[in-house]
Amino acid sequence: MDENSSARLKRRLLGIVYRIGLFLAMLTICLPGLWIVLSSLRPTVEIMAKPPVWIPQEISFDAYVAMFSGIGKGGIPVIEYFRNSLIVSVTSTVIAVAIGMAGGYAFARYRFGGKSSVFLGLMLTRTVPGIALSLPLFFLYVRLGIIDTHFGLILAYVALNVPFTIWLIDGFFRQVPKDLAEAAQIDGCTRWQAFWQVEFPLAGPGIASAAIFAFLTCWNEFALASQLTRSVSAKTLPVGLLDYTAEFTIDWRGMCALAVVMIIPALTLTYIVQKHLVGGLTSGAVKG
Amino acid sequence: MKGFKPSAPFLLLLPAVIVLAAVVVVPLLLSLYSSFTPFRLTKPETFFVFVGFRNYLSILSNSDFWWAFGRTVLLLTIALNLEMLLGLGLAMLVEKATRGQRILRTLMMFPMMFSPILVGFQFKFMFNDNIGLVNNALQSLGITRDAIPWLIEGHLAFIAISIAEIWSSTAIFAILILAGLLAMPKEPIEAARVDGCTPWQTFRYVTLPFVMPFAYIAMTIRSLDVARAYDIVKIMTDGGPAGRTELLWTLVARTAYSDGRMGMANAMAYFSILLSIAFTVYFFNKLAAARTQIGAEW
Repeated sequence: MDENSSARLKRRLLGIVYRIGLFLAMLTICLPGLWIVLSSLRPTVEIMAKPPVWIPQEISFDAYVAMFSGIGKGGIPVIEYFRNSLIVSVTSTVIAVAIGMAGGYAFARYRFGGKSSVFLGLMLTRTVPGIALSLPLFFLYVRLGIIDTHFGLILAYVALNVPFTIWLIDGFFRQVPKDLAEAAQIDGCTRWQAFWQVEFPLAGPGIASAAIFAFLTCWNEFALASQLTRSVSAKTLPVGLLDYTAEFTIDWRGMCALAVVMIIPALTLTYIVQKHLVGGLTSGAVKG
Repeated sequence: MKGFKPSAPFLLLLPAVIVLAAVVVVPLLLSLYSSFTPFRLTKPETFFVFVGFRNYLSILSNSDFWWAFGRTVLLLTIALNLEMLLGLGLAMLVEKATRGQRILRTLMMFPMMFSPILVGFQFKFMFNDNIGLVNNALQSLGITRDAIPWLIEGHLAFIAISIAEIWSSTAIFAILILAGLLAMPKEPIEAARVDGCTPWQTFRYVTLPFVMPFAYIAMTIRSLDVARAYDIVKIMTDGGPAGRTELLWTLVARTAYSDGRMGMANAMAYFSILLSIAFTVYFFNKLAAARTQIGAEW
């Protein structure tokens, strides 16, 4: 065998190995999620079957129907949970982004003393584990009478999101050249006008993705929500998931169905946001 | 005398500082105070009894606490390192793909969309010894005949939790490292090849230093939120079996809400806060160093 064809063979082999590797990696990533979707659509008998039934014999939407049919019929108050999740997540996202825009702009456009320690200080507030923060908040909220309310949860989530929205939005404003706003000011805009008419539209997509990211954080948060809410009037979806567990039994199918309901908004939003998110986090990591 | 005129960045940062002070700093000061009292939820009057460092001393001599502490550090070390390695591997696999990169990138981010609590539940389901996917697959393939007690035996439960944690967070590393690989100029790699570097040398001395800042960004982001493992553990084992997977955070939650010993729990919480801060500051410094190394402005 001459050198040429052996090199070609080696290359083809490597190509095959590469494809198998890629396929296995993607399978590992996707399988757990797909399994949940599949399980939510199968009858409980099949989930519990021994030996396992690999290929579903029948597909039914019973779990979803049961979930929405209300308490007492095997359902949980999923519509209320969904509403609570939505109210809390949207409100706290809007507030966190507004605060984050002000802060991010300050970091991107001004020089001031102790800038990086202020930045680090803001970030450090984010490191406080939710469960550790929940202890004093729980105590304070009980005293202030805002335990188990939307307001209390919104307040906590705003604080949870502000450090990260500042980081992201700072990155997006850095990508907008300074000269543009300066040019607008020379042409007679005030700084305020220059911001809203030049810099804000340019950083817009990035800010939108910071908003989605904040929304997802609230949507998925559990440690704080599980301690600061307790009734149908404020419980969010992640806490509601626990309604399917009893002392010794778990309604796997119902849980899977609720998981799918939770994941669909998250899936859609993450897909929209992915490109900008990476850009915002990494800007300033390399020159340019 | 001129009136005090605050600077623009001060005013712009004020709302953020106010919110964080109100929701994070003040409550933390309160919890710092109560960590010096024998405060119990059931006995409000104990809030005003000052006992000095008694809670801290009893924690320091509590072996359950030290086990939980060590386990937490071990989990974070294993998880962060493996996530970094797997993320790097995954990013390089995807970067190599000539077709369908968009699809691959979206698939790669799939786990990021799962709330930690969902991850916990999903892996609890998969590792269930009786009906779980993992045991079913192993038994069907004939690898083992008996059901492996994944979440019932201490060491196996720890492994299962680590797998869940790694599955959920590798995506963050992969996506950020991929961003680094895509932003990397091609000339240095070509120059290295022309100079006769082996592929390994090219990777080690050209690609890796360039990608490291991106990896540290991912590390910093992760370390900001390491405690999300609480959600996973809470669902998968809730610290069991017999406390063998108890992490610092589940221990804090149990002491506070099940036992009602708030003062003690707050003292423990301070250890967990310090741990998180240590991780963040460490990676933040690494990030700054890596940025300077490749000459980026900060």
